[in-house]
Amino acid sequence: MHLIPQSASHFHLLLSIFPSIGLIFVLGFYVTAFATDDAAAKRSCLVLFGLLGLLAIPTYVSGDRSMAVLSQDPKISQDLMSTHFGWGVTSLALLVLTAAAALIELWRSRRAERVSNDALHLVLGLALVTLALMVITGEVGWEINHHELRLDPATQRTPQAWSHVHVILNHFPTVGFVFALLFYIAALVMNNVVMKRASLVVFVICAILGVPTYVTGAASMWALTGVPGISRAVINAHRDMAVWTLFGLAFTGVTAWIELWRFRHLGRFSNRSLYLVLAFAIITLGVMAETGHRGGQINHPEIRVATDTLPTDPKAGLSAAIESLINHVIWFVPWQTVHFFGFSLIFGTALAISLRVLGFWKSMPFSAVHRILPLGVFGVVMNVFSGMLILFADSSRYLNATTFAPKTAFITIGAIAVLYFSLSERLWTVKAGEDAPMSAKWVAALVLLSWAGVIMGGRLIGYV
Amino acid sequence: MEYGNTAIIFMVIAVVACALGLTFFGVYYLNKIVDQNAREGSSGRQT
Repeated sequence: MHLIPQSASHFHLLLSIFPSIGLIFVLGFYVTAFATDDAAAKRSCLVLFGLLGLLAIPTYVSGDRSMAVLSQDPKISQDLMSTHFGWGVTSLALLVLTAAAALIELWRSRRAERVSNDALHLVLGLALVTLALMVITGEVGWEINHHELRLDPATQRTPQAWSHVHVILNHFPTVGFVFALLFYIAALVMNNVVMKRASLVVFVICAILGVPTYVTGAASMWALTGVPGISRAVINAHRDMAVWTLFGLAFTGVTAWIELWRFRHLGRFSNRSLYLVLAFAIITLGVMAETGHRGGQINHPEIRVATDTLPTDPKAGLSAAIESLINHVIWFVPWQTVHFFGFSLIFGTALAISLRVLGFWKSMPFSAVHRILPLGVFGVVMNVFSGMLILFADSSRYLNATTFAPKTAFITIGAIAVLYFSLSERLWTVKAGEDAPMSAKWVAALVLLSWAGVIMGGRLIGYV
Repeated sequence: MEYGNTAIIFMVIAVVACALGLTFFGVYYLNKIVDQNAREGSSGRQT
């Protein structure tokens, strides 16, 4: 399989996700820069907006050429392509305007210590409108080629919403890692603490998003199995790399989170750990690129070239081997037991920390209960790994269970919300005898409810 | 291939012991770093 695009269609597929999904991450960094009032972070974001604007040109050119190729395919809807083109041109034009405003402000303020707040707000407003238009463009664009979104829901083996979510969600860890890496490298070069912490947070969020991406991917696999023109062997090749991606995301996410946790207690980063995160992130991005490429091969025959040798044996590869192994009781039962221990660690930790935040055990400062947080995070790692193996055992049954979707959503919400405990400055300064701020109490309640939801959602599988 | 109860129980204990062992070692090690730093008094942070 080839990774370097050799056609306009391939180039468009690869590039078009950056202005849309990338904009979300750049906006995230931008909001952080505002919240922390960090001049270097604001300037770095303006540069990123400029880069996104530059991407508008090749995205438009490759899209235009891709349309010419796809219009010869009778299975592709011309109306959908025209609608996508219309929204695409509008959103790209607005993106160029956003980039121009960002670059002008960057140039104008090159000698001043601060950038103008009015200009920064203008860029923020333009970026938000661009993002809204990009959402519509992306949604129409994904419907052009994705068979699973056009299948009759009544005949599908898994709910169509899973496939739809996978088509959207799978781009987040990939694009998120690209922008987090750019921001992170800039942070390391400038030795900027705010930017380092923001990038580490994005690495952790991308790792967490890997879980629903993987789960929804398994559902898409069942939705597409048996569809004419779709090869199960190609799907399995994608799934094999997805397993490695999950490992890569776990390593990067956990090392990034540990650094955030340590920073809270020590007040400084360890350079060795920061470079370890960088190494993991680069390797994971490489693995994700291959995973994404193999995923693209499933639904996009237009990106294949004559030299591509696609897999033909659906029973070959890592996933098929794990699938047959985990169905033996001697492998399934130990990992299921680990899964229960993982939940105990997660819920026990979440309960202890949340109760302190909610007003219990006030004789302890928040920093004391924050120390036990790694126990819960390692519980999450145990459960991601064991959960992935358990899902292999009978994915179709799990994915069709009513409570599996809320369980997956609660994992994502609960895990992201826990980040607050290591990021909030106000919560960190809560001393013995003091009450936590109200915002922290809401987060604590959300964390408790989410993880309770995960356990109940999991336990109800097979019963409702 | 069929497995006896003893083999299954052994596997459960082995896998769980490894998973929990790694977890507790990780937590112990991370907290040790924080304690060490607090003793050296170089952080000035609330720990």
